Amino acid sequence: MKRAVLWVGGAVVLAAAAFFMGDYHNDVYRKLLLWIALALSYNFIFGIAGQVTFSHFAFYGIGAYGIVILLFYAALPWPLAILGAIALCVVLALAVAIPATRLEGFYLALATMAFAQLFIVVLNEGGAVTGGTGGLASYRLPRILGLDFSGRTYTVVIVLLVLATAAILRRIDNSWFGRACRAVRDNPEAAAAMGIDVARTKVIAFTVASVLAGIAGMAYAFVDNTVNPPIFGLENAFLLLFMVIVGGTGRHAGAVVGTVLLYLLPFVLSPLIGQHHALVFGVLMVAAILLQPRGLIGLYDRVARR
Amino acid sequence: MSLLLEVRGLTKRFGGLTAVHDLEFEVRAGEILGVIGPNGAGKTTTFNLVAGTYRPDAGEIRFAGEPIAGLAPHRIAARGVMRTFQHNRPFGGMALVDNVLVGAHRRFRATLASIVAGRARTEEARQRAAAQELVSFVGLAELAHADVTTLSFGQGRLLEIARALAGEPRLILLDEPAAGLTPAECARLAEIIRGIAARGIAVLLIEHDMHFLLPLAERVVVLNFGAKIADGLPAEVRAHPAVMDAYLGSHAAPH
Repeated sequence: MKRAVLWVGGAVVLAAAAFFMGDYHNDVYRKLLLWIALALSYNFIFGIAGQVTFSHFAFYGIGAYGIVILLFYAALPWPLAILGAIALCVVLALAVAIPATRLEGFYLALATMAFAQLFIVVLNEGGAVTGGTGGLASYRLPRILGLDFSGRTYTVVIVLLVLATAAILRRIDNSWFGRACRAVRDNPEAAAAMGIDVARTKVIAFTVASVLAGIAGMAYAFVDNTVNPPIFGLENAFLLLFMVIVGGTGRHAGAVVGTVLLYLLPFVLSPLIGQHHALVFGVLMVAAILLQPRGLIGLYDRVARR
Repeated sequence: MSLLLEVRGLTKRFGGLTAVHDLEFEVRAGEILGVIGPNGAGKTTTFNLVAGTYRPDAGEIRFAGEPIAGLAPHRIAARGVMRTFQHNRPFGGMALVDNVLVGAHRRFRATLASIVAGRARTEEARQRAAAQELVSFVGLAELAHADVTTLSFGQGRLLEIARALAGEPRLILLDEPAAGLTPAECARLAEIIRGIAARGIAVLLIEHDMHFLLPLAERVVVLNFGAKIADGLPAEVRAHPAVMDAYLGSHAAPH
């Protein structure tokens, strides 16, 4: 009961915030929220299931391009387009996961990196379907059930999406499946001795996280009403990894803290040192790994325990 | 008593070395069977063949009447054969009781969809209470919420046992559980193993320490160089000339 109040209260505050912002800040806010959704699901696959993957932004892109192509190129009605885009994410996630999760560590990272690169090539070479290097633009979110979800209302949709992602991942994490993921991460042989199907657990974890990234991507498609290839490349996949590590690998709160910090940092640093803010990221990353492997949330734990 | 585990003609070779040769034994429901032998006798290989870590080159392993030889370890565990590891393998970064809950994996029925819908809470609470009971059964109640990395070696061994029991096995495989324990811990472990058998769970106990095993086991199988050299009641086995040979060497036999 108390928890329900907390979630609803959080939703109201996060949603209301959008109405007190100018257009520019509202835009930054929405994108930050989407990064948080991505960091939460990436934390699940990387921090909790222990799979080092670089395909998370590719799935974000598959969701984004998928919904736009299905709605406007294939001209499907919106419920079918949403289901179709989710189905596309599921099929591609399984196609990547079934062979790739047999690989471990370095090789899994390479395989997912290759997939992410391949996805960008497909986007660039996709002709009229993907719009090539320029991407797709000048479309608008259709009215859903007669309602217009553009403007500030859309920010509310994104707030609900982030909270739903957090709630789903929390429930999964606190279940037998979350424990199985952690067991497989820590010691696959011992996990198998407990009756856990290691390969199946990895495939499901990868698919769940990738589909959640795809759903976030579907929301992203209508933030600027344009999608183009560079957003979904490896650079952002690495930034996402940094966010989770700096915040605290394997912790939901860590993913949120790391994302807020690293997403907002350039806004503070750019006026001071321009493009050199990447240097600060690098230093932060190395400092986190060397000095505080549990990330900022680990630091908070230590202080709070005192 | 019915046969729970039947091993017939079991053979495993590693290159030119025959680690287990034409081995036969059986475990009945609710009994403690000790498998004993000097280092290198093939005990751990036998254990790994039953648990599915190795695939036998020949022979048959039947559990509850069904063949299990060559099945993947997780499938054997899912049928109710749970094991412990000789070297403790806790899942780090998880509380002790959560480690035990991992052991209960095969007993969870909630689907991912019902978990996401929030309808798996009663099952979770029920299993958590059962896990808590097992933690108390092995005597670690006050450490239930401790991080497993803070446990002592002996406590880690007890966690291994609680975790295996959480799967409600019909047969539990214990791989040298007394190794590395203090005499006081050994005495407590023996009590726990008797308690497991009293719950109706068959125990296959692999051990090279005769002083620990002989008072505990109901029947004993003695291995040497991968083959069975004796079996029977502990008292019979103790007096068996081949066993004295294997353990003490033929020149050290009492005069």
